[in-house]
Amino acid sequence: MATEYALRMGDGKRIFLTKEKILSEIEAGTAHAADLGEISALDGNELEKLAEILMMPGKAVSVEHGMEVPVTHDIGTIRLDGDQGNSGVGIPSSRLVGCMVHERAFGADTMELGHIDYSYKPVKPVVSNECQAMEVCQQNMIIPLFYGAMPNMGLYYTPDGPFENPGDLMKAFKIQEAWDAMEHAAEHLTRDTVWIMQKLFASGADGVNFDTTAAAGDADFYGTLHAIEALRKEFPNMYIEAGMAGEMVLGMHGNLQYDGVTLAGLWPHQQAPLIAKAGANVFGPVVNTNTSKTSAWNLARSVTFIKEAVKVSTLPCHVDMGMGVGGIPMLETPPVDAVTRASKAMVEIARVDGI
Amino acid sequence: MASKEELIQELSDAIISCKKDAVLAAVEKAKGVMEPAEIIEKGLAAGMNQVGVLFERGKLFLPHVMMAADAMTAGVKILEADMPAGAQKKTMGVIVNGTVEGDVHDIGKSIVSTMLQSAGFEVHDIGRDVPIKNFVEKAKEVNANMIGLSALMTTTLPGQKGVIELLKEEGMRERVKVMVGGAPATQAWADKIGADCYAENASEAVAKAKELLLGK
Repeated sequence: MATEYALRMGDGKRIFLTKEKILSEIEAGTAHAADLGEISALDGNELEKLAEILMMPGKAVSVEHGMEVPVTHDIGTIRLDGDQGNSGVGIPSSRLVGCMVHERAFGADTMELGHIDYSYKPVKPVVSNECQAMEVCQQNMIIPLFYGAMPNMGLYYTPDGPFENPGDLMKAFKIQEAWDAMEHAAEHLTRDTVWIMQKLFASGADGVNFDTTAAAGDADFYGTLHAIEALRKEFPNMYIEAGMAGEMVLGMHGNLQYDGVTLAGLWPHQQAPLIAKAGANVFGPVVNTNTSKTSAWNLARSVTFIKEAVKVSTLPCHVDMGMGVGGIPMLETPPVDAVTRASKAMVEIARVDGI
Repeated sequence: MASKEELIQELSDAIISCKKDAVLAAVEKAKGVMEPAEIIEKGLAAGMNQVGVLFERGKLFLPHVMMAADAMTAGVKILEADMPAGAQKKTMGVIVNGTVEGDVHDIGKSIVSTMLQSAGFEVHDIGRDVPIKNFVEKAKEVNANMIGLSALMTTTLPGQKGVIELLKEEGMRERVKVMVGGAPATQAWADKIGADCYAENASEAVAKAKELLLGK
């Protein structure tokens, strides 16, 4: 009987596959990415290397000596003090303690401070509190500490915001009204984000992290790119990281452009040049995990997309690796075997600059 | 004169172009040659299915999907006069669709609603962050054949199970099919909670709904 290796499904379920099956899953995964993104599939050596990583005997694996990359941590300290409702582990701790634990115990190379709501809009009424927290953290820490949140443009639509929900307008075939709502919301998103970061930067933030950019589609991406552009103009030395929400920019609007490029439907390698053009320092590409497919299929697909993004990007690419992205299963606490294998493959095959 | 295959292609292409004028012209051209039901199913609905695929591939965007659906509705409307008595109002099934409580994700669920509606189902989209009891109440109100349950977070996924349990308590489970979807949902999850089917995307949702409700 052929040897079987322990892998995962995209929902985290343990499965056992032979080397032949693993290779066929890898080939199918890379072909899927190549087809969607109109990019090159992984070559023979890369397929073999990926299979080798997936079949390694240890529960956890790591990169080869000399291939270590910087790691940072998004979502602020919510992973520690949040509960399972927001992907946290429920350890009572202040944000200062959380940031310092990341610096001194987890070995994070950079860290971000974030509010429990973790979107820019809700930070507006508590910005003084955020500034104070930033100052206190900066006084106690050495590693670069950013301020981070999600652009989350959905918060500008009813019932959470002033503009009618374009999804509802679309359903009523009010397409022009939906476009108007998205464009107005994007303007507000840009304005609010810049205003918040002016305050946080004055309070000592080393940079800003736009987490889950384009979650509300192309208008969300549009608003964020303009915020990056405005911040770069006002703060030439500000460190700006822009991470994406998903692999493809959803075309909620469909017509919005940045630098002459239509934003809807862009894949990671097409997003990278625009993030650079806007003035960011680091790009955080994302590839979604399909819960119904194997980790071999998902990881091959993710590595294929990210490898192309790294190839074309003029910025360092710090790939988003976590629950449900980057070939990692969608599970509140992603299994260490899958996380470490996916991370190793991203560094050694996709050649990412950081995680 | 165009062959039936050419007319079917023309109908489908017109839907993919998302232009109402093109769809109406293609329907007028096909009317004398094909039966209304055939025009709808093989031409318009097939085109709509392709629109769904192109949306998922990032080649068409939400406004295009809506414009295509609007054009299809207009095309179906002009065919109604030629349909046998009673067929106009006949739907393929009644579906209540929504995102479960605690989950505000809306886009995917709305696309599924639009695609199901375009395929001929009567769809009642009850929105996002919907309490469990509201699904069951709406299903009672509209005499639904199926409930569609979307969830985009692992933490809200149990809401899908909650609806199935409430359907059982209300004695409605036998007559209401349940479809689940959303990123964290899988066929294994659907089997575990006793859902009738799992659909990975909007096109699959249409195919599975047809399979379950019409045996196609």
